Amino acid sequence: MNTVLSLVDFAALSPLFVVLATALILLLLECFSKTAAKKYSLFLTALGIVLAIYAAWAAPISHNPLLTPWIRFDDLARLFTLLFLSIGLGAALLSDSFFDRFEASRGEYYFLLLSSLFGLILVGSAADFLTFFLGLETLSVSLYVLCGYMKKWQISQESSIKYFLIGSLAAAFLLYGIALIYGAVGTTRFDALLNGYKALTVLSDQRLFLAGIAFVTFGLAFKAAIVPFHTWAPDVYEGAPTPVTAFMAVGTKAGAFAAFTVIFLYSLPQFNVLWNECIALLAFPTLIYANFVAMKQTQLRRFFAYSGISHAGFLLIPLAVGTSEAIPALVFYLAVYAFATLGAFAGLSFLETRQEGVMLSDLKGLFKRSPWIAGLISICLLTLGGIPPTIGFLAKFYLFKIAFQAGYYSLVIVALFTTILSAYYYLRIVGIMLSESSTKEEIHPSSWPAGIVGFVSVIALIFFSFFPDNLYRILF
Amino acid sequence: MSLLMWLFVIPFFSACVAFLLPITGKNLKKIAFVLSLIPLALLVYGFPDLIGSEVKYSWMPLLSIEFYLKVDSLSFLFLALTAVIIPISILPVHSSTLNMPNFFYGWVLLLEGLLIGFFTAHDLAIFTLFWEAMLIPLYFIMNVWGGPQRHQAAIKFLIYMIAGSFLMVAAILGLFLAAGTFNLETLQHVAAAGKYAPWICAVFLLAFAVKTPLFPFHAWLPDAYCQASTSGTILLSALLSKAGIYGILRIGMGLFPLIMKEWSPFLLGLSIAGVFYGGLAAWLQKDYKRLIAYSSFSHVNFILVALFVWNQTAEAGGILQALNHGVTIAALFLVAGWLEERIGTTAFGKESGLAKYMPQLCWLTLFFVLSSVALPGTNSFIGELMILFGLFVVNPWQAAFLALSVILSVIYMLRWMQLIYFQEPAPFQNRWVDIHKRELCIAFPLILLVLWIGIYPAPVLKLIQPSAIKMEKTQ
Repeated sequence: MNTVLSLVDFAALSPLFVVLATALILLLLECFSKTAAKKYSLFLTALGIVLAIYAAWAAPISHNPLLTPWIRFDDLARLFTLLFLSIGLGAALLSDSFFDRFEASRGEYYFLLLSSLFGLILVGSAADFLTFFLGLETLSVSLYVLCGYMKKWQISQESSIKYFLIGSLAAAFLLYGIALIYGAVGTTRFDALLNGYKALTVLSDQRLFLAGIAFVTFGLAFKAAIVPFHTWAPDVYEGAPTPVTAFMAVGTKAGAFAAFTVIFLYSLPQFNVLWNECIALLAFPTLIYANFVAMKQTQLRRFFAYSGISHAGFLLIPLAVGTSEAIPALVFYLAVYAFATLGAFAGLSFLETRQEGVMLSDLKGLFKRSPWIAGLISICLLTLGGIPPTIGFLAKFYLFKIAFQAGYYSLVIVALFTTILSAYYYLRIVGIMLSESSTKEEIHPSSWPAGIVGFVSVIALIFFSFFPDNLYRILF
Repeated sequence: MSLLMWLFVIPFFSACVAFLLPITGKNLKKIAFVLSLIPLALLVYGFPDLIGSEVKYSWMPLLSIEFYLKVDSLSFLFLALTAVIIPISILPVHSSTLNMPNFFYGWVLLLEGLLIGFFTAHDLAIFTLFWEAMLIPLYFIMNVWGGPQRHQAAIKFLIYMIAGSFLMVAAILGLFLAAGTFNLETLQHVAAAGKYAPWICAVFLLAFAVKTPLFPFHAWLPDAYCQASTSGTILLSALLSKAGIYGILRIGMGLFPLIMKEWSPFLLGLSIAGVFYGGLAAWLQKDYKRLIAYSSFSHVNFILVALFVWNQTAEAGGILQALNHGVTIAALFLVAGWLEERIGTTAFGKESGLAKYMPQLCWLTLFFVLSSVALPGTNSFIGELMILFGLFVVNPWQAAFLALSVILSVIYMLRWMQLIYFQEPAPFQNRWVDIHKRELCIAFPLILLVLWIGIYPAPVLKLIQPSAIKMEKTQ
């Protein structure tokens, strides 16, 4: 057996290494020179992520038996890696405008951001429950700290401790589930799960396995904030600094669904109809509850928490369907969601002046005061609402199509009904931006990195609305 | 690019120009007006070669959606109406007082592009896309520019519209599942065969009925028409209701002829009820904008009667009347808007005898009122006559009953004229100035259309004939 890692293997792992190395350099920089850290942190982070994107794009595939049991080097893993890195880049650039307003050390912040990105990539490319869990915990632990990054903000303290407690609980469930699965099939490797499950003949073993699956689903549902495991999300999103909220709304959500995809669509495709039906059962309350509650929100970070939960509901549809088309539909939706949410947060980051974040009333008359920012936010919100002719409509349409083909009619009808509600609250925000305002204060994009995020996401959304096929071809 | 593609793309470019141009005021209005005229120019230039032309791109092969636009004679008529009404809806705007002018013109031009796409779409997914997308500019036009209760009216409008069509996506997916394509021409042969065809048809019909609106799905209409600005009301009444009618013709009659025929007695009953309900409601209004809103509702239901009679003459009359109604109702809301500017209210009873101070506005209003009540020689006369004739062939009693509604429309329309323009003149106020040449010029093309269709309808009827014949073949 080959026991040496060759250069190809290192190259195959390079995205992870680059992210890790950048993170460590940032930490060192912060130790030695605060001023240098303040100046160059963002630049270094962006450079590191761009390098990692290149590495992920160009990385060879490793067949070394030392690595393949732990990490996958297939197309799906590469796709998720690229998606996460782009999200990370967006979140890092967004943070710049936050640090313009609020004073805090930057090196540590970007270090934590990169660590969580490292965890995310590991989740997306894990080939074993152990690496998967490792990734998930790296992601979560960094995020616990990031949520409370503004140490003196009371809302952040609440947010951080809440996230930590509930997150650890979820992790415990997840780990217990993994243990049960191991007990049933005797392995934690993803590629052996399906055959292991099929080979189970004794009913009690099957039950053990399903119990394990239930716990794993339970743990992931916590991370993805699916009703009824969502209660932490609004408070945590509300209290966290805005760029962290953006990263959680996009990155964690994408991570949780990547985990769902890798475990249930990729490794255990349609292993048991029961699971699909349970997921469909979770989708109903998630869609209905989140959309109803989102209508009443006035703090925008909190609003995005509920909007994120409702999108999690939509993302559950392909999971419930579980056909071969489910993965492309899910990733397509995820990509559109990521672009639109990051774009919206880029717009919001210019408006932020206090720790409570942006309130709905701050948006009054924004079209008159700052038409560009208002236009940016509107396009992103219309996309999130799935309002034609934006790409958001097609993303939803794709989900509905596969659900319809698989016979989940009631799910489609409920989802269509909730799109009415979501259209209402997204359009209401745009309506507020178009209304008259009492203040005449104009807001100009203050930070160019956040401006880039907004610009790129809007251009991408508009372009893909006209040529949606290109997005699909880029992804697959 | 083919002419059709230009026709489709230019309004979107125009909308971008209007959104992004850093100018305001009169110049912007001029630019927007000229841009809105381009599609009309293209239609005139392309006639009659445009009919039958098509554009087909593979748009999202993954979902088997094709970007497939095609103009047939039915599409062409509705395109022409759109191209005429959009410039007219831009003209009554006062560029000096208009709030956020870039957005206003941008939304109107965007709506034009979406309507052109909608009236030519031959792929069901694209059709639905435009159908839903149309709401967005309209919602914003209503929400930002209009009366004091515009926010509520706009939300009510939006909720009704989305609720009406929210199952449409499920319906087209149902059709896709049965046929494996969204192509309307292929669907024509297979759509009605499916097990759930009546349900799918009902979902489409509901969406179209809410937008048109068919009685009793009209609750959004009075508030929306009254609270929107003059331009917004013109767009709603002249174009949006036609989108519903076009939908019934294209999807209802086109894909599910037998089911529609089976349901037609019931639908006919609803629309006749709508004609009288609208007429009686208009009679009771204390506000002339609401009065016109209800009269529009009544007339639109008259058109729906024509579609549900299931007779070739009535159908042709219905399509003609759809165009007539577009022209006449735009003109009525236009003159009502001018009146509102001058007297500052839309309520009856405050001012009267205005004919003495504003004779030209009075005669202009009277002209369009007469067109609305279908005086011989005006456009509506031809349309209503054809509808009544068609209905008479099928059921003389119903025709006789429906003809009473013509009298009803005379009563409520002349009541408006009587209360505002005639009667004892109120004391003069300074702002009561008669309309200028500029306003006459805006109304002139509408006058021309009213008289042209009223006196020499043959060219238009020739265009309508193919779609009406097609309908009879499917029986």
